[in-house]
Amino acid sequence: MAETFNTMQEKDMGSVVSRQKVIAVLAKVLVYAFLILMAVIVLFPFYWMINSSLKPLEEYRLPIPTFWPHKLLLSNYVNAFNTAKLGRLFLNTLYVGVVSTLLSLVITILSAFAFARLEFKGKNVLFAGLLATMMIPGELFTITNYMTVTRLNWLNTYTVLIVPFLVSVFYIYLLRQNFLQIPDELYLAAKVDGTSDFKYLCKVMIPLSLPTLISITILKMMGAWNSYIWPRLVANKDPLNNGGHRLITNGLRNAFTQTTGEVNYPEQMAAVALVSAPLFLVFVFLRKYIMKGVSRSGIKG
Amino acid sequence: MIVDLQNLTKVFPSRNKKEKEMVTAVSDFTFTIPDGKLVGLLGPSGCGKSTTLYMICGLQKPSSGKIFFGDNDVTQLPPESRGVGLVFQNYALYPHMTVKQNIMFPLQNLKGADKLDKDEMLKRTVEVARIVQIDDLLERKPNELSGGQQQRVAIARALVKMPRVLLLDEPLSNLDARLRLQTREEIRRIQRETGITTVFVTHDQEEAMSISDMIVVMKKGVVQQTGHPQDVYNSPENLFVAKFLGTPPINVFDATVRSGKVYIGDEAVIDVPDVPDQEVIVGIRPEGFIVRPEGRFHCALNGVEVMGRDVSLVMNHPAMNVPVIRAIIDADVTVDPEATEVGFDIKRNKIFLFEKETEARIFFEV
Amino acid sequence: MGGKNTMVESRRPWMAWVYLAPAILLLLVFTVWPIINTFRMAFLVGYRGLEAVQGKTFPFGFGNFTKVIQFQDFLNCLRNTTLLCVITVPLSTFLALLISVCLNSIKTLQKGLQTIFFLPYVTNSIAIGMVFAAMFNIVGSAHGTSNQIIITAGIVNNIITFFGGEPVNWINSGSTYLANMTVMVIYIVWNALPFKILILLGGLQSVNKQYYDAARVDGTSRRRIFTRITVPLLSPMIAYVVITGFIGGFKEYTSIVGVFGEKMGPANDQGRLNTMVGFIYDALENNHQGRASAAALILFGIILVVTLINLQVSKRRVHY
Repeated sequence: MAETFNTMQEKDMGSVVSRQKVIAVLAKVLVYAFLILMAVIVLFPFYWMINSSLKPLEEYRLPIPTFWPHKLLLSNYVNAFNTAKLGRLFLNTLYVGVVSTLLSLVITILSAFAFARLEFKGKNVLFAGLLATMMIPGELFTITNYMTVTRLNWLNTYTVLIVPFLVSVFYIYLLRQNFLQIPDELYLAAKVDGTSDFKYLCKVMIPLSLPTLISITILKMMGAWNSYIWPRLVANKDPLNNGGHRLITNGLRNAFTQTTGEVNYPEQMAAVALVSAPLFLVFVFLRKYIMKGVSRSGIKG
Repeated sequence: MIVDLQNLTKVFPSRNKKEKEMVTAVSDFTFTIPDGKLVGLLGPSGCGKSTTLYMICGLQKPSSGKIFFGDNDVTQLPPESRGVGLVFQNYALYPHMTVKQNIMFPLQNLKGADKLDKDEMLKRTVEVARIVQIDDLLERKPNELSGGQQQRVAIARALVKMPRVLLLDEPLSNLDARLRLQTREEIRRIQRETGITTVFVTHDQEEAMSISDMIVVMKKGVVQQTGHPQDVYNSPENLFVAKFLGTPPINVFDATVRSGKVYIGDEAVIDVPDVPDQEVIVGIRPEGFIVRPEGRFHCALNGVEVMGRDVSLVMNHPAMNVPVIRAIIDADVTVDPEATEVGFDIKRNKIFLFEKETEARIFFEV
Repeated sequence: MGGKNTMVESRRPWMAWVYLAPAILLLLVFTVWPIINTFRMAFLVGYRGLEAVQGKTFPFGFGNFTKVIQFQDFLNCLRNTTLLCVITVPLSTFLALLISVCLNSIKTLQKGLQTIFFLPYVTNSIAIGMVFAAMFNIVGSAHGTSNQIIITAGIVNNIITFFGGEPVNWINSGSTYLANMTVMVIYIVWNALPFKILILLGGLQSVNKQYYDAARVDGTSRRRIFTRITVPLLSPMIAYVVITGFIGGFKEYTSIVGVFGEKMGPANDQGRLNTMVGFIYDALENNHQGRASAAALILFGIILVVTLINLQVSKRRVHY
């Protein structure tokens, strides 16, 4: 049955081997070149942000740009911090982020537990209904929510930034999936030992789902840090200096309304770098949890 | 196609990153696979048998040594230029393709002079599907097939391009016991029908013994013994081979040779006039015991197990080197299950002596 | 909680509702009611919240919808959103696929590069949008010592001229729609890559290596391995990133605010780059809740249809 390869045998094996080797090496070089080029493109905006933020305005405006500041200047950061009142904005955002994350975690854990562990009438229908709301774009809710919080007189308070988004169907779903992976036997064993549901939740399920809870915490905090549209709608109008509730992203955008033309870019970039810094810290130290959270949500999609 | 393996050695960097040691998976492997035979590479897991198979296939390059297919040195050739077919342990059938598409896939890769037209491809696909008896499943997807059927598809995919050598990696390990028996006969039949030189890897000695023309027993990357399965079984060259082949396994004892007699404990079990005095290890095959109350060897009886045509005695002996001693005896010989001791004579061709240090066989006149 | 609860079936099934109470209460107010109310407002012609409070009644009908789709503004937003979607989703998916496959094929530097490619995920899209604006900006004039005006071109234009190209007015007053869109496409793709790479690379890494070994033994060419094995095996992940890409794309808004500011366009043509979401918020801020609701429902409808089409296509194309 070997006729097919008769031709093969007559070929010069050596040339086949060396040609294959050349192709393999060439492919490797191309792959690395492409990846490194893409990595440079991905990193460039970050580099440019930091590079610009450290320059005096005059140097920034040189016709031929300098790729590293001739004169390192930190005053841009001080100015940016003061101009945009970043201190107050940081605190506002931190407060809103921490409180909403904590409350959200409690609500998520309780609901996920009910859906994963408890039996009650209409459970599946209710859960399906919750999942269905995930398909609806948030903008559809915002219109009415804006009217609701206006009527409740919540405008320009912390409450308005925290309460409407406490329930995330997506996080409930994520955590429920995690809870479901915990073997039934553990629950049965706990029941045999007379452990109450609540104690079981606290002592067994929460510790076992810690990675997911950490992922949720990080994503929720990042959400607060990056939220823009809703805060602009409900907490943007009161003046910042006397106890305003504006959040960081809005503050940044408001402080530097102009993006083109004669803008003090070094200062603006310094402000951007300051706003981005906490995110980078999170990225550096908690990257694994973020990636896990994001990719897990991806697989479940 | 004769496959000639000369001094094959494969060295890997250690998986443990902290130690920068190298691990030798296969060491100085020399063996000639005769044309058109079915050869079993046999050994416990981690013995280098799969690495050897992958080197024959070309997925791994040997660190040193050469591989010849006939007169061609293929050592440096990539797998696709070698003309081999490989069946993976878990079959690696493409889940998104039908059986037909899976089998046809290798044909569609052919280029230049070897290129086939559609009709020819289909003809060959159907032909090979008929050989492995899956021609009624061509439109199914792999996940709609049983394990045995998937196995056949994988073999068909390996056969369709008419390889010079067919390689099977643990072909039966993913099947249940009943299918395993059936499928190994099937592999034997397909190999006979096609006449392709076939190498398969297994850790199951029964599997290898039952269908191979030749077996190669490996341990820690080193070939222990090669030959016809029955010859290897009847005359193991070292303790490892003796222990590895045979179910129930061989019974092992510590013993001494004194003035031409083999002593297990105080009893001189057999006479070996040509063996000098020394400490030895003795192996006795389960079928090597002949019940004789006044025999030369006695063991303490634990129980009698009757399983259909076989009667096996489960026993103890102070000098034994294994958890329990098993003897398989004729069904018409009766042994009192209540007895505390049984006496035996030992068949001279079923008892093997090994050097204590090297565990190499000490031959004596049978 | 009862201490002697040895049965798995809870003796008090209503306890589940206690656990669920906070979530359900909040969902009723901030999710369920808005859905109902949005439909109500959308079909009350000319509905305005302020007037409704004063007791004004509105006729039922499709008036809001017909009015919205007759708005040049709305059509403009629809065009921008659709264009951005149709361009950025395939582009970013293709690039992400390419990067993932390359990343998956290497060993050295893989972890480091993977980290770099994930970096843009953890950014504030307003903040980094401002960086992109700085990079593409053109005028940046300054009064030098002798009061003469120095014009700098911005780093992107510097790079273009370095390679012998003509500088382009990307985002400043007087820039073209094409230039604006190019900047937005670059920024959105840059922003969309990390998520897609994460998902696709995860998918690739979970593909059984033996498929590739099997293909190699059969002498399959690189291109055929990619089109016949990698892409089909990855098709569920590809479908997933495409669908989420389209859903996100139709809700595009903040990245444009980041680059162009809240005026959503270059200085001389404000609102030029406005999107569907932007339109909804503008209507809301002008107290045209009826119009905003109608637009939100249209957006929902579009997302639904596009998702269904995607699912339909992937049903035929996703291979297992």
